[in-house]
Amino acid sequence: MDKAELKKRLNDIQSLPTLPPIVSKLNEMVADEDITAVKLGKVIEKDQVLTSKLLKMVNSSFFGFPQRISTVSNAIVLLGFNVIKTLIVTSSIFEVMQASDVGLFEHSLGCATACGIIAKMRQIKNPEEVSTAGLIHDLGKIVLRSELPEEYEAIVREAQEEGLYMRQVEKKRLGVGHGEIGGMLARQWNLPERLVFPIEFHHKPELAPEYKEIAAIVHFSDILIRAVGFGYGGDPWVPGLDHVAWERIKLSKSQMREVIAELDEKLIELQDFTLEIKVEG
Amino acid sequence: MQRIPIKLAKAEMVLAKDAVTPEGQVLCGAGTKLSEELIARLKKQGVLVLSVKGHPVKEPGEKSLSERLKALDERFSKVKKDPVLRALEHLIGEYWIIEEKGEDFLEKLKASK
Ligand SMILES: [Fe+2]
Ligand SMILES: [Fe+2]
Repeated sequence: MDKAELKKRLNDIQSLPTLPPIVSKLNEMVADEDITAVKLGKVIEKDQVLTSKLLKMVNSSFFGFPQRISTVSNAIVLLGFNVIKTLIVTSSIFEVMQASDVGLFEHSLGCATACGIIAKMRQIKNPEEVSTAGLIHDLGKIVLRSELPEEYEAIVREAQEEGLYMRQVEKKRLGVGHGEIGGMLARQWNLPERLVFPIEFHHKPELAPEYKEIAAIVHFSDILIRAVGFGYGGDPWVPGLDHVAWERIKLSKSQMREVIAELDEKLIELQDFTLEIKVEG
Repeated sequence: MQRIPIKLAKAEMVLAKDAVTPEGQVLCGAGTKLSEELIARLKKQGVLVLSVKGHPVKEPGEKSLSERLKALDERFSKVKKDPVLRALEHLIGEYWIIEEKGEDFLEKLKASK
């Protein structure tokens, strides 16, 4: 398959079950400058299923708010519209993933958790946005798996047999890696660049045209979550570290210890969350 | 830290997090040392799970510390030459050892090397 064909196949995904109709309505509403969180919240809350999913996500431990968030408008105020929109856009993708690939689902949740911890430590303004970028950083893998299943399987197999990273095999077989694929989709879905770039460049954070710091945090969190062995990202190895990106967000040894300990606690709590999802379906 | 169902709680274990009811009511704080009486009282008030310090309960199918350390090392096999990542591997291993065996054990281990 060449790049053009791949692009075409990915373009078609836009019409797949991934985009709930409510998203375009919300986009219109946000363009209106007088819109308030309360008004937006009311529109979302008309969809009860979506609302309960959304509240479950925002209350999960990777965002780590101490009090329970009980309304959508509250969630919008606390997490920002970018985050809420991304959670809505990707909610059906995550549903598919929970059912078909628990390992990748846990890898994504774990990466989001690590992103949040590091973003807070670095006092980034909206740490929830960084968590969200972490949550969907492997969007490309999820989509490959659901839209090009034979190709995906062949990639996983070759990676295992040859002892290669997934993205090396993707590059070889498809001409692009899952980072670029995820970036393409995120752009198609009109997600903000603060999220698009970190997804697209999570393996090459210094190539991001902007938001290099967020990209670097996602890059390192991906490494960290694989390092501790939580979830499964398609191949078992810790990815290489970009040292320029590391200089940007460098943690001291004692900060690193703090991050490891906090991550461990949050991952234990996260298991309650994934268990809850499994039980409730 | 370990999350355990309250029926596995034993006296002398130390809470790593507040003990809360499913409704979110806090009954006693992190750092509290459990006693038989306290466990009975928490059960009565509806507490289902507790977060305790360290890793006192062995779960079925759980990997031993040395197995986990070995798997950790295998995951890092492609990045052994990277000094930052080597340090990261080290810190994770140390954290696991302390969690399971305590700080003293790690010190002794270091001294014996
Ligand atoms: Fe990735
Ligand atoms: Fe990843």
